[in-house]
Amino acid sequence: MAAQAAITLSHVTKEFTGGVRVLDDINFTVSPGEFICIVGVSGCGKSTLLNIIAGLESASSGSVEVPSGRASVMFQDPSLMPWLTARQNVELALRLRGIGREERKAEALRLLDLVNLRDATEKLPHQLSGGMKQRVALARALAQDRAVLLMDEPFAALDAVTRDLLHDELERVWRETGRTIIFVTHNVREAARLGDRVVLMTARGGHIAHEWSVTVERPRQIEEPSVSTIAGSISGALRAELAKVHNV
Amino acid sequence: MSNPAAESDTRSLEHRLDALQAGPAAAKPRRLNWLSSVWPPVVAIAVLLLIWQSYCWIAQPRPDLYPSVIDVWSAIVANWQSGRLPMALGTSLSRGALGFVYAIILGTLVGFLLVEVPLLRRAFGPIISGLQVLPSVAWVPAAILWFGLSDATVYFVILMGAVPSIANGLIDGIRQVPAHIRRVGLVLGAGPVALHRFVLFPAALPGYLAGLRQGWAFAWRSLMAAEIIATGGKLGFGLGSLLQQNRELADLPGVLATVLTILLLGILIEVGVFTPIQRRVLQRRGLTEAR
Ligand SMILES: Nc1ncnc2c1ncn2[C@@H]1O[C@H](COP(=O)(O)OP(=O)(O)O)[C@@H](O)[C@H]1O
Ligand SMILES: [Mg+2]
Repeated sequence: MAAQAAITLSHVTKEFTGGVRVLDDINFTVSPGEFICIVGVSGCGKSTLLNIIAGLESASSGSVEVPSGRASVMFQDPSLMPWLTARQNVELALRLRGIGREERKAEALRLLDLVNLRDATEKLPHQLSGGMKQRVALARALAQDRAVLLMDEPFAALDAVTRDLLHDELERVWRETGRTIIFVTHNVREAARLGDRVVLMTARGGHIAHEWSVTVERPRQIEEPSVSTIAGSISGALRAELAKVHNV
Repeated sequence: MSNPAAESDTRSLEHRLDALQAGPAAAKPRRLNWLSSVWPPVVAIAVLLLIWQSYCWIAQPRPDLYPSVIDVWSAIVANWQSGRLPMALGTSLSRGALGFVYAIILGTLVGFLLVEVPLLRRAFGPIISGLQVLPSVAWVPAAILWFGLSDATVYFVILMGAVPSIANGLIDGIRQVPAHIRRVGLVLGAGPVALHRFVLFPAALPGYLAGLRQGWAFAWRSLMAAEIIATGGKLGFGLGSLLQQNRELADLPGVLATVLTILLLGILIEVGVFTPIQRRVLQRRGLTEAR
């Protein structure tokens, strides 16, 4: 293929001090504009993998290539600066990018409108609901203007209704901005709802157990039968992974 | 592919959910808030004065040993008219303010230095905490020997009182910044300077302010103590000196008048400066209920 991959992982291994091997020979590539979901049980190494791609941790061996430069990252905790309004939080990211004052404000308002927060731009984080905070965090991540967006269980703490709406929102934002997204979750239905491709990690040992291509047409609904079918198959594989752990 | 009708439906649903879940934005009327913090201490003081005055009316104690409120008030008026009280107020306040500014600069620098260099922090952290416990009046004799009866003595004692609290407030404030806030700063691409300026220092502000408040209290106490102990020479005439002078004149109403003035000044600065700043900072972060 002529097109360069957005992310290439080859033979990535990670051991923490004490010799526990959390990731073992992970290989995969992500195409530009692709939406990848990584699923796996808690503690299987999803966050470690994401942090390595983000450059927040280094791999013990192997190589990680992100030709577009550093990625932006979103975590389960929105981690907004509590002393800044929604707009100022987004502006902080722009400022750290070196954008001038005038342009900052207009751009922050545009991004907050993109995540449907036009009416909350002057609110402080403690005045926002969990879903709204996470959308501010999304706008802030988008403000970094990086081709790759890494998301570590960003919706895990939200209620189901809010989460469904945020899936729609994220799908739309992804389509409009053309980002490459790696989305980590332990929620199988969420993975099937969002991903072009779903990668399942083994419960122990740090391998990739299985991969699915999800070709369901977008925009999708989480309760769609075609989405549910794929979720069912991922879920089955996930349970098989768990069963192996118990048999050891 | 995309379906505009479904999309606008999502957006309006989301708006409704936001309206339901978001907290109230309404800020309370500020004047009411301020008044509500002022009247309780005012009433408390009035009640205390009333009890004191009633005791003097009823029990008729010796006025030179137990002066009434009215005697003390007359002493305040007399000290004011003689020009001694205004001069002492001016001297002490300007020394206190200037000394406190020096202490803020020094304390903040020391704080940042210890935050940045872990080895220094481990080495000097306990010493600074120890200095916080040591009453800074203990430095007065040494300061007099080093600097003589000059303003340098007073400023030295103020610094020894206030710098440890301010440095410690900043260190604690920065150490208590949640790891995820720091991590976001790094993820957003902040370099070391930007990280401190835009993330760590603002995040540490509540702890820093607590340190400043305590630092001021120590500075003010140290100043009064230094002025009582060290008088004469090139030293200006401060509230502590006035107190001492009134004692030498065996003027108890004058002594009590000075004590009341010092107390009142402390309350005014507390209620008028630190409390409102601290409250605004905490409220903005949603760290206090409005009441
Ligand atoms: N800094 C660390 N030091 C040692 N072990 C760690 C560290 N971070 C994570 N681990 C371990 O690595 C494993 C994978 O963690 P993590 O990547 O957070 O899993 P997940 O995100 O899939 O729940 C866990 O067993 C965890 O205890
Ligand atoms: Mg995790």
